[in-house]
Amino acid sequence: MTYTFKLNEQIYKITLEENEGQIEVEIDGEKLPVDYRKIEDNLYSIILGGQSLTIGVFKKGKKIQVFFDGDLYDLESISEREQKKSSLAASGVQEIKAPMPSRVVKVLKSEGDEVSRDEGVVVIEAMKMESELKSPIAGKVRNVMAKEGDAIEAGTVLMVVVSDTPPASE
Amino acid sequence: MFKKILIANRGEIAVRIIRACRELGVSTVAVYSDADRRSLHVALADEAYHIGGSAPGESYLKKENIIDAALKSGAEAIHPGFGFLSENEAFAEMCEKAGIVFIGPSPEAIRLMGDKITARKIAFDAKVPLVPGSEGAVSDVEASVVANGIGYPLMIKASAGGGGKGMRLVRSKDDFESALRMARSEARSAFGDDSVYVERFVEQPRHIEIQLIADSYGNTLHLFERECSIQRRHQKVIEEAPSGFISAKTRKKMGEVAIKIAKAVKYSGAGTIEFIMDQKQNFYFLEMNTRVQVEHPVTEMITGFDIVKWMIRIAAGEKLPFKQGDIEMNGHAVECRVYAENPATNFMPSPGTIEYLSTPSGPGIRDDSAIYNGCEITSFYDPMLSKLIVWADTREAAIDKMASALREYIVLGVKTNIGFLRRVMADEEFRKCKIDTGYIERHPELINPEARDMKPALIAAAIAMENSTGSGPQSQTAAASNWKLFARRSGVTRSPLA
Repeated sequence: MTYTFKLNEQIYKITLEENEGQIEVEIDGEKLPVDYRKIEDNLYSIILGGQSLTIGVFKKGKKIQVFFDGDLYDLESISEREQKKSSLAASGVQEIKAPMPSRVVKVLKSEGDEVSRDEGVVVIEAMKMESELKSPIAGKVRNVMAKEGDAIEAGTVLMVVVSDTPPASE
Repeated sequence: MFKKILIANRGEIAVRIIRACRELGVSTVAVYSDADRRSLHVALADEAYHIGGSAPGESYLKKENIIDAALKSGAEAIHPGFGFLSENEAFAEMCEKAGIVFIGPSPEAIRLMGDKITARKIAFDAKVPLVPGSEGAVSDVEASVVANGIGYPLMIKASAGGGGKGMRLVRSKDDFESALRMARSEARSAFGDDSVYVERFVEQPRHIEIQLIADSYGNTLHLFERECSIQRRHQKVIEEAPSGFISAKTRKKMGEVAIKIAKAVKYSGAGTIEFIMDQKQNFYFLEMNTRVQVEHPVTEMITGFDIVKWMIRIAAGEKLPFKQGDIEMNGHAVECRVYAENPATNFMPSPGTIEYLSTPSGPGIRDDSAIYNGCEITSFYDPMLSKLIVWADTREAAIDKMASALREYIVLGVKTNIGFLRRVMADEEFRKCKIDTGYIERHPELINPEARDMKPALIAAAIAMENSTGSGPQSQTAAASNWKLFARRSGVTRSPLA
């Protein structure tokens, strides 16, 4: 089976197949023998090239969290069709969403403002702490939905930023 | 000793206090908000009372509701833990009026040390070193006189200040006048008040604090220091005891000075005097925390002294059976606070459900935690998940042990700072004890490490996909054991492991 994942805005393809009783993975054109066992729900022991790895994996729909070497990675499993669509979205229109239930402290940009990549656009407060939400792309602010003082749910769209470079035609 | 104690807190500190009570043979009463019905402290306590809504203001800060629960349950004392009502003078008074013992100092001591200006005055009168500076706002003429007196570098700060506005760092006398002018005008436009004060700038400050324990008979002891210089957003992340930086002479001096402050307010119970220290071991009084501290376990590990149990015993009227000379320290302890937060987005909290949890164990490893598989981390409370504490004979060995323990810590469902903590343990400067409160800001590479080989993570994701679709290769599913087959055939048992 071949799986396609998006991780840190990059697309990866991985093939898992059984060959004469051996499991093999193909990733980035490289073939590696792999031996794995499920230890319990969400925990796998993987032996890869003699290295013993214990990796946590939590799958919810298309979203996959992988806990590896102390850090948690967010992966998304995508089909061929979605792959095209998502690469358009990634470079074209970006929604700034609330990552958790919180309150809007400050809206730093207005409609029409230019923003650079990783520039702070909205300040929110949750768990006694203020955090700045950043624009993942450079571009122009198209819509501002957030109002200072608003109580917001996780996933609420606070702002829409449109890329100033034409979307890559992949 | 008390028969029953109410714990007016939640999370790991409530669990810590419940355990101390149980060991003392005291029965425990938990209180909980709407969001905490499934929390560990509720499950571990002997009794539990609902005290209101999820927001702290509707429950853990509702003094009347907590007193009501104490009266209803017949608890004779209340342990406030830290945060919430632990340093609330009015609450301590309400307890007194209701005939309930507040496990902590007197309302008077809380009031005196809770007010920064009063606390500073008490420290000054007790001849405790303070950051040299002008006492309060100064005129232009006074300012330059004070500046010459304390020397450079120094800070000019707005009296009405906050958030860095109206603040100026001055490195030499030549720059003083213009800096003063700019600080005043900035303060005027930001706060409508241009009064400023002058203070010595402590370069690369370390945060070092002294743990105190005092009974109600005038016996006040110190349990040495903790160093808490690794901070983000002015909050401690990694603490250790003893400090790997100070000399025995400084340690002794700090302990004596801390005891003087406690005696000045007739302090009883556990308390902490916080200091900032420059790179030459000059230390200055910062504030006193009149409660148990988050990082108290590192002191317990090096002294063998159970701080929480002694808080309870002292509140019950017991006398400390030790003298200062009886308290010894042994080895080195390090604590890491494991937070549900994302270091990559400026340590933004990451609430959610714990979908998988595996915690370290082994000799010298202690995990003070209140989380479990399936528990919910809500955005109502502090995102601290647990405190991982280790002990070993030397600082180096303790850091190695912490690094090893962190490798066994696995959390799925919420982002954590575990990877960040692991990188700190491996960092050369941290290991050499070259730390100060600016350490994290100075080391962005610990937050966003260089790109690493993501192959194992991607392979694990593919394996999980394969398993979930049921199309996994036959050889990978464990061969059905005869026991299982027998159970299935007979249809009478179901293995919990199946």
